[in-house]
Amino acid sequence: MDPDAVAKAFVEHYYTTFDTNRAGLANLYQDTSMLSFEGQKFQGTQSITGKLTSLPFQQCQHGITTVDCQPSGPAGGMLVFVSGNLQLAGEQHALKFSQMFHLMPTPQGSFYVLNDIFRLNYA
Amino acid sequence: MEEQVEMVGKAFVDHYYHLFDNNRTELVSLYQPTSMLTFEGQRIQGVDDISAKLNQLPFDQCRHVISTVDSQPSAFAGGVVVFVSGCLQLHGEEHPLRFSQMFHLIPTGQGSYFVQNDMFRLNYG
Repeated sequence: MDPDAVAKAFVEHYYTTFDTNRAGLANLYQDTSMLSFEGQKFQGTQSITGKLTSLPFQQCQHGITTVDCQPSGPAGGMLVFVSGNLQLAGEQHALKFSQMFHLMPTPQGSFYVLNDIFRLNYA
Repeated sequence: MEEQVEMVGKAFVDHYYHLFDNNRTELVSLYQPTSMLTFEGQRIQGVDDISAKLNQLPFDQCRHVISTVDSQPSAFAGGVVVFVSGCLQLHGEEHPLRFSQMFHLIPTGQGSYFVQNDMFRLNYG
């Protein structure tokens, strides 16, 4: 399958899930997964989902500006580099962010997130 | 293990941007034939083409100022993913450009790392 198509499909799925069913993100992580969220580190599905579902806002909407991807090596992994905007309900101005994912294939033919790093881009 | 990965990331970032800002032609030493660069959406592969792209950027002098460095071990033995954000000051320009960049570093076997994956994006206002 075309790697660009895979990356775009993953990004759409990830942010739609984040914006409409945040607890559903758990399906995208495994025990070995790592998240760095604004410098804070988490490992494993429970810890990562715990952080994402306890962020101090209920509603949000991600708007994606750029998606770049590259294969990471012989194991079929893919690196995805995203930039975009995060609009929080009730806030006048959207926050800008960048995020990188390292996706690894699952035996069932989909991908899970092995590495996830998120940073807001301040003015 | 975690601290070691952070140290590798920071040491690499210091070295990379120091070379970029002071001796850009030397960046070639950090890439190998399998290396890939995506620079503002443009895809480039291999040492020669990556080196050519970086050396032909339309500015002679620049200075990178790094705001954040995050590192994690990747799936590969000793591999490290590094995520950087910062500012790029071009000589003669009034305002610095903001950027984000990610690297996937693979051990060379001789105690250092090369850049297998490199993606760069400016962050516009």
